[in-house]
Amino acid sequence: MAKVMNAADGGDIAIRVKDLHKSFKLPTERAWGLKQAIFNRLKGIKGYKTQKVLRGIDFEVKKGEFLGIVGRNGSGKSTLLKVMSGIYVPQKGEVDIYGTLVPFIELGVGFNPELTGRENVYLNGALLGFSNEEITEMYDEIVNFAELKDFMDQKLKNYSSGMQVRLAFSIAVRARGDILILDEVLAVGDAAFQQKCNDYFASLHGNQTVILVTHSMENITKFCDRAILIENGKIVNEGEPEKVAEAYKALWS
Amino acid sequence: MTKLPQVLNRRNRVLLKELSKTDFKLRYQGSVLGYLWAVLRPMLMFCILYVVFSKVLRFGDGIPHYPVYLLCGTILWSFFTECTGMGIQAIVMRGDLIRKLSFPKWIVVISTTSTALINLGINLVVLIVFALLNGVEPSLNWLLAPIPIIELYALSLGISFLLGAINVKYRDVGSIWDVLTQALFYCAPIIYPLSMVASSSILAARIILLNPIAQIIQDVRYLLITTTAETTWNYYGSAWSKTIPVVIVVIVAILGAVYFRKKSKFFAEEV
Repeated sequence: MAKVMNAADGGDIAIRVKDLHKSFKLPTERAWGLKQAIFNRLKGIKGYKTQKVLRGIDFEVKKGEFLGIVGRNGSGKSTLLKVMSGIYVPQKGEVDIYGTLVPFIELGVGFNPELTGRENVYLNGALLGFSNEEITEMYDEIVNFAELKDFMDQKLKNYSSGMQVRLAFSIAVRARGDILILDEVLAVGDAAFQQKCNDYFASLHGNQTVILVTHSMENITKFCDRAILIENGKIVNEGEPEKVAEAYKALWS
Repeated sequence: MTKLPQVLNRRNRVLLKELSKTDFKLRYQGSVLGYLWAVLRPMLMFCILYVVFSKVLRFGDGIPHYPVYLLCGTILWSFFTECTGMGIQAIVMRGDLIRKLSFPKWIVVISTTSTALINLGINLVVLIVFALLNGVEPSLNWLLAPIPIIELYALSLGISFLLGAINVKYRDVGSIWDVLTQALFYCAPIIYPLSMVASSSILAARIILLNPIAQIIQDVRYLLITTTAETTWNYYGSAWSKTIPVVIVVIVAILGAVYFRKKSKFFAEEV
């Protein structure tokens, strides 16, 4: 289980992941629906096979550290993030979180096209665990960062897709959590906005704990203090971003 | 282990409020009459039933304030079907959130049913106005009416939690429930008066009154409209058998809560 504790209790540690194991039951014969389930039970078919996705992950993230997680598709990165965010329950192992964790597995979760930009910010904030007062405090910063001041009272369906993703991204980077988790969301929007995103991440150095999953080795070496490489649910390389990026590229050679 | 005070902590309250508000806002989005539909739907259903059963089949003869009596039943029934229908689908409908964020899953079920609760409130006001226009005398009994209504909400939530949790894995449950509610509709004395059943078989009437929905509807009718309404309380002698419907509600509610709690850890993977 992911346990959330006070930031002060952790000393200089923000997250501690201990011997994490996670497997999924994948339906083999279509076990979707009651009929098939009863049928399978009668025939003695289990109806699923177990796939181990995480096989004993251990690592720590220090406060203010920018950690990159890399690995091939299907290596277990996103599952790891979801277990750390408390979305999945692991079979074995523990995640200790010191402080508030704000996960962005995807940008704009729960965004509704029928609501206005403002309403969506409040809804999204509530989903991330912020109170209305906290969101009101962050609101101006979010809108300014997104550069959408004149559009906040319009419905989201009238936004361009670039504007939508800018708003979602701004919530992600302006949400005041102790630990920020990002899954492949770094720079969005047009060239100017991407530059702004890059500048923002560069400015975070040492002030904010960030865990970033990405396939861009450029971003790993540019932003991260440390990186880990995951392969088949295990950490196979860990340390300097440059070294890990090399190991990542070597997976294909 | 979550302790009870933590269940309604600030974070959960904020989320519950925001999700309920969103559901409420979006429900009648894009319809011309908008929120009026919340009142119109049961009223139109009532009109149809009234014409068929009161005017054509003459079911209501001998029952005081029969139109109000009928409206009361349809309002409570439509609350029950709306609440369970939405509640059972809540987790599946909000799958996008559950797959990507971590929050207590029961909030989704409660927030989805809250729109039905608001609709019920509005409809009860309509019912009271109707009752007064029809010449029903206000009485102190009215103050007791919230008790069976709370019982009805507890039953609806219990069913929503129980079947909603099963529905995550076996999507057939939602469809089965749709059919089942059709059958349940005729098991409860909503359109036909219980006196009609009792006149041919007292036993049948007593069996019908063991159904919590029948007990609740008859109790509300008794409290709000006329003390001639047959209730479980009046039809059963021993204190033990009088409480059977309430015991059923309590069992369903506890079963739903326990099962949902046990299964909710895996909703993110299964939904």
